[in-house]
Amino acid sequence: MGPDLDFAVVMDHLPEMLMGCLGTMALALSGMSLALIIGVAGVMARGSSLPWLRRLVIAFIEITRNTPFLVQIFFLYFALPAAGLRLNPTVTSILALGLNGGAYAIEIIRGGVQSIHKGQIEAGLALGLHKAQVFRLIVLKPALRAIYPSLTGQFIMLTLTSSICTSVAAYELTSVAQRIESDTFRSFEVYFTVTLMYLAISWLLMTAFAAFSRQYFSYPTR
Amino acid sequence: MTLSRRHLLGAAAAGALLPTLAAAQSLATIKSRGKVLIGIQGDNPPWGFVNTSGTADGFDAELGRAFGKFLGVETEFQPLAVANRIPALTTGRVDILFATMAMLPERAKVVQFSKPYVANIIQLVAAKSATVKTNADMKPLVIGVPRASVQDTQITKNAPDGTTIRRFDDDAATIQALLSGQVDAVGGNMFYLDRIGATKPGVFETKLEFTRLFNGACTRLGDKELNTAANSFVDQIKTNGLLAHAYTTWMKQEPPASFPDAIDGVPFIAA
Amino acid sequence: MNIAFGLKEFLFLLTGLKWTIFLSLIAFTGGGAAGLLVAVARTAQNAALRRAMMLYIAVFQGTPLLMQLFVVYYGLGLIGIQLPAWAAVAIAFTLNASAFLGDIWRGAIEALPRGQTEAAIALGLPMLSRLRDIILPQALRIAQPATVGYAVQLIKGTSLAAIVGFIELARAGQIVSSQTFAPILIFGIVGAIYFALCWPLSLYSARLEAKFAAAR
Repeated sequence: MGPDLDFAVVMDHLPEMLMGCLGTMALALSGMSLALIIGVAGVMARGSSLPWLRRLVIAFIEITRNTPFLVQIFFLYFALPAAGLRLNPTVTSILALGLNGGAYAIEIIRGGVQSIHKGQIEAGLALGLHKAQVFRLIVLKPALRAIYPSLTGQFIMLTLTSSICTSVAAYELTSVAQRIESDTFRSFEVYFTVTLMYLAISWLLMTAFAAFSRQYFSYPTR
Repeated sequence: MTLSRRHLLGAAAAGALLPTLAAAQSLATIKSRGKVLIGIQGDNPPWGFVNTSGTADGFDAELGRAFGKFLGVETEFQPLAVANRIPALTTGRVDILFATMAMLPERAKVVQFSKPYVANIIQLVAAKSATVKTNADMKPLVIGVPRASVQDTQITKNAPDGTTIRRFDDDAATIQALLSGQVDAVGGNMFYLDRIGATKPGVFETKLEFTRLFNGACTRLGDKELNTAANSFVDQIKTNGLLAHAYTTWMKQEPPASFPDAIDGVPFIAA
Repeated sequence: MNIAFGLKEFLFLLTGLKWTIFLSLIAFTGGGAAGLLVAVARTAQNAALRRAMMLYIAVFQGTPLLMQLFVVYYGLGLIGIQLPAWAAVAIAFTLNASAFLGDIWRGAIEALPRGQTEAAIALGLPMLSRLRDIILPQALRIAQPATVGYAVQLIKGTSLAAIVGFIELARAGQIVSSQTFAPILIFGIVGAIYFALCWPLSLYSARLEAKFAAAR
């Protein structure tokens, strides 16, 4: 006779869980966008000639990558108001995801930019390409191609990390799961189902990223 | 050694026995183990909290230790978050809950309550400057509660449709949400105001009282022997002074003169 | 702020830290041992075994650590296994470590030139000896930077045990902060403690990576 499992009760709440998935995707996409912006800005600041700016960016990267996301989001939600900045759970979550993702994005993008050999740029200019064309075709596209696996992997991790935002009462799949758990008391069934949903979300993202890569990056390199 | 059909049947029989054992009477297991596993709240003084030496302490802890003595075994406490209390019991993680469990009919469907042993008041705490005289006044407020707590149930039920309710992991987060201004009001038990007032005195007060509740010890449905033991224990502490001692130590008041003989929808005795 | 943050509160944080370190060590060693098996199975001759390991790794890499914690924490009790909270949580982290480390080491094994394995087979070395003496020592060395990098993720990951009510460092901080209401100070200190644990490891990992890059 096995353990007493009741998935039917949980499946009654399927519409709510699907809405929760949308909440997760919204947080993740907003967080990713902010992370990209911080990434690019961070790379430029990191390469600046001002030593204090460089050190500030490095400090930001090291602190963010060596402290847990839970502590970061607690700080943003509970501690910032004491300093005068009170943000609601959604904005706090997007900010936390953006900062956290951004710290990793800075290093990934920097690696990509550095991978473009100066000789390539010089050759492009010598061949008569405009500066803008050089940037787009010789720097940006190959750099993106080089960092694409790391960057998309990081974005999928960011989507999974969004589950922690439930601790500041943000609206996403995990907080929905916890609501359903407190209504039905079916803890294992709820979390098992939701885990499968996260698996589906990350698989969908991987497939989408791979399709984009095949479309945009399949050109011969030598 | 090759597997014969006999071996496979034996293994299957043993496997089928396993879940049955988990649902069986746990009193014998507790006695043979020499230890009772008690679920308690980890961060809800004065009921259950973990003190600075890392041990479980508080009203429920004092009674829990007395229950262990009553059974003649050692006591081991498992601090639980509010939302984990019932799951920890039903999935076999603990034998019994002394965890500020308000006796509610929905909960009585999933766990077995003992006779009540402590009273509680669920109320709304907000800033003195806020005007909250009736339930309808809650609409413009952002209200924080610990997820799956009785405050959660009460506020969800009594607040007008469309009120923003934020559910946090535990009491610690909920109280911080109020202190940091992230929420305008919180649903608390009768000690919230003391805890909040200790940190920011004079700013907050209780606005609305939702319900007076009683708490009972919880055992798994069908676990008759442990429920009987729990009820005998509760009867005993009401007469031998143990309950009065716990009340004056932790609640700073006398225990109620009497507890209800019956609560609607919540049986005290396992069927 | 009425209740000042003093020695008593700091000691409470340290009891939380004790659990953080304990959980991390158990998960890393247990997960490391299991991860070796996962890596070897993932690169085995048997196609079914390889695919099973691919699925195992994909599940842990494609779902949030928080969900893995919940499923193991509640699932263990359901199948009749009664364990204290720290053990259930430790098992969840150990499984996660086995999948991630297994994948890292699988990558390192595959990075070795095939000639190594072929030569070992030609010399008549049995599989256990091939793995123990030739493949694994080299693979684990190549994988050192990534392995240390995962150790950092694991330490940070233990903070999630807070959400199932376990009192490790992050939750201890939450409780102290609600008592003293000095969140900037408390979460700052908690963050600093995690940083003190993780940053040296991250620097070590970066140094290892530079060493291997130079050698190449």
